Amino acid sequence: MTARTAADASARTAHENEVTAMSDTTPVLRLSGISKTFGMNKAVDSVSFEILPGEVIGLIGENGAGKSTLLKMLSGNYRPDAGTIEVNGAPQTFRGPADALRSGIGVVHQEQSLFTNLTVAENIEINTPAGRGGVSRLGLYNWRRLNRDAARALELIGSKLDPNTRVSDLTFVDRQMVEIARAIRVSASSHTPPLVILDEPTAILERTETEILEREISKLRDIGSVIFVSHRLDEVLRICDRVLVMSNGRLIADRRSRETNEDELFRLMVGREVHAAQRARSSVAPGTTPVIAVSELARTGEFADVSFDVYPGRVLAVLGTSGSGRESLVRTIFGAEAATSGTVAIGGDASARPSIQRSVRSGIGYLPAERKTEGMVGEMPADENLTLTHPGRAAVGPFELPRRRRAIAAEWFETLDIRPRTPERQLGEFSGGNQQKVVLAKWLNSDELRALLLDHPLRGLDPGAAETVNEQVRAVCDAGTAIVLIPDTIEEALEIADDIIVMRDGRVSGRYDLGHDDPTTLDLLERML
Amino acid sequence: MAQRNPTLDRPVAIDTTAIRVREQGIERRARFRSISEPLGLLIALVVLLIVFSLLNDRFLTIGNAQNILTQASIPLIIAVGATLVILLGSIDLSVEGVMGAAGMTWILLTANSRGGEGLGAWAWVIALGVALLFGLANGLIFTGLKVPSFIVTLGMWYVGLGFATILYGRDLFPRLEDAALKGWTSQLTLGLPNAFWLALLVIGIGLAVVRYTRVGRVALAIGNSETIARAAGLPAFRVKVAVFAIAAVLSGLGGILATIQLDIGSPLVGSGLLFIVIPAVVIGGTSLGGGRGGILRTVLGVFLLTVLNNGLILSGVDTSWQSAVSGVILVAAIVFAAWSHRDRLGVAK
Repeated sequence: MTARTAADASARTAHENEVTAMSDTTPVLRLSGISKTFGMNKAVDSVSFEILPGEVIGLIGENGAGKSTLLKMLSGNYRPDAGTIEVNGAPQTFRGPADALRSGIGVVHQEQSLFTNLTVAENIEINTPAGRGGVSRLGLYNWRRLNRDAARALELIGSKLDPNTRVSDLTFVDRQMVEIARAIRVSASSHTPPLVILDEPTAILERTETEILEREISKLRDIGSVIFVSHRLDEVLRICDRVLVMSNGRLIADRRSRETNEDELFRLMVGREVHAAQRARSSVAPGTTPVIAVSELARTGEFADVSFDVYPGRVLAVLGTSGSGRESLVRTIFGAEAATSGTVAIGGDASARPSIQRSVRSGIGYLPAERKTEGMVGEMPADENLTLTHPGRAAVGPFELPRRRRAIAAEWFETLDIRPRTPERQLGEFSGGNQQKVVLAKWLNSDELRALLLDHPLRGLDPGAAETVNEQVRAVCDAGTAIVLIPDTIEEALEIADDIIVMRDGRVSGRYDLGHDDPTTLDLLERML
Repeated sequence: MAQRNPTLDRPVAIDTTAIRVREQGIERRARFRSISEPLGLLIALVVLLIVFSLLNDRFLTIGNAQNILTQASIPLIIAVGATLVILLGSIDLSVEGVMGAAGMTWILLTANSRGGEGLGAWAWVIALGVALLFGLANGLIFTGLKVPSFIVTLGMWYVGLGFATILYGRDLFPRLEDAALKGWTSQLTLGLPNAFWLALLVIGIGLAVVRYTRVGRVALAIGNSETIARAAGLPAFRVKVAVFAIAAVLSGLGGILATIQLDIGSPLVGSGLLFIVIPAVVIGGTSLGGGRGGILRTVLGVFLLTVLNNGLILSGVDTSWQSAVSGVILVAAIVFAAWSHRDRLGVAK
């Protein structure tokens, strides 16, 4: 690598030609018999596949199928127990993330790993070694050079971001672009075609943002290859040329996107058929008291003049883009944010201002989008998390009986199929899908749950876990609880909701009662934008 | 979720203008906030100046202005280091101890009433070296043994005081005998007190460190998220130790200047300074959680507090009331300054 960078310009051109010539035959990445075992658990079991230059590969599988472990071996965080990794035809041993980066493999992790208080350029260049080619010399920064190098990396992926912007001022899509630019930064300077691994980059993006990101990903085809990990099967089929399916640590299927469909992929991943039970929908019976009646609610800078009713046994989905104010609306109804004006009546009673205390006391639950910070106490055992808000029969006066708590937890673990069945373990050690189920059970454990506010309940969940959560939501809804849902996708809303309201720039721009209206996805999108 | 939606099988052309417009709005608001926050402080400072000059006509004089600049100099120098430490997300409480240790070391090595020739420039080097050792101890114990900086530096505060007390012994106060140095801090050069020139130099270097050096940028990165910083392979250990060392050397410098100003050596030379320095950083808007803020804001914070103290004395607030009054005003000022940082469901620890 050093020799290559030191070579003069003509030699570099010659080398590039050679790469192009080779690329017709040599895969960017070839894995043969890769395995990794933790204790008794074979996380990845002799996985082999190839990726050709310019290919976009989808990697799917349930949580715990071994995707993350596989990715960590590619990014140099883990070392495989057996098997070989070849990059551009040369066998590689990664001793750490730096080695993987040097050979052209860059990973964009699921969690954002940018320094939000630094500039775009600094974030992109932060791993570039200091010294001769680097941006800092003797510890002093060369801002001009830093910005120039970062702009070059951004240009390569077709982004026009100003390298001098602070990351905290960027939207999520733009932040993803910065992460991608950082992932290809090293290979961009050494002129090797990069392999970018995107680990669920769209999990927290809104629909329209996802469209933008999809376009950007297809641009990466021109400069390198991509491994795209996602739980959204429609997206995977749209973006990728090929889809790899993992289950129990093994690679169980390799399909061309053109020759497969969502139903088949779901079956391969989860091992059972899709329950595509369409909901029987009806309109509200006249004279029913709404569980929650929102009237002219406003919060300055977020939303204004919002009114709607939520009825028992019905699901109301709130659609909108990230600036629509819908998250803030639901949080305000719950009392987590303060309303500027307007009222929220619970069971016809509008006498009190919305507050979390009042909501909890009157049987309203809230599943936050920020699960790790607002939904759970990661250091506490799962069973204690579960009985935190509504201890039910675990509480006798001011006391809590651990044995009863364990019994309650055991029941919920069974009902919601929470795995592993170890309620005494810290909740932080569970996988995302199972954490979400525990947080849901925390509210379900209430004796009189009247309404459940769900803020992106399926975010980051694999299709199997998502279905369990959806089934449970449907069950409590059928039992008479009202549901307010902020869905990740329009499809999710069309599948589960009885009523839909669409928000744009803080105001309601559309209302549908699916009992008699039948809006198409495009209708809804138009109202959102 | 696995239902297929025929309308979405082919990519939908979406007009993204609406998103772009909204993004620009977000950007504008962010920019506005970055300007309006320090502006709020500036306005508060101007209001204080107006109120005090109405209360006492001696307040708005050149003499008192020079007085305020002298009083602000030592807190300014120390606050530059404190800002760096707080940007890391840590805290340095050892300020007064290090001041005592460095000040005592310096005066005993300079011509003083206990006798001796004095080592001249070497006295400065050795005293600052002592401060540096305290800083290295802070940093190494904090990073190496993973003890919270709050506890390490709290202990080091008393170690510093003890060190100074041992040097002081049971003798009389060592009085500064070097004629050239007596009153040097408040003497004017080009209309400004010498100590203030020194403070300006330190502020300039501090700004450059934050903006143009690897240490400064990595410190900001660590303050934002140490987990990410470590995962990115940044030299977190070295940078943290370096920042604590810088802070201690500045405390040491402050200790020497305070000794010159006081004219005698005392272990308690730094008494009360922590109460100005840390609130000044916080009022300036540097987040105690790290990563956000900066030195210029701290400078505003120091001036706000110095003007406040000076004004209270001049407007004749009874001395027995002064400490309580400045405490109340301090809390009020922080509530005011931190108003815009209140997050939704925000938790203060």
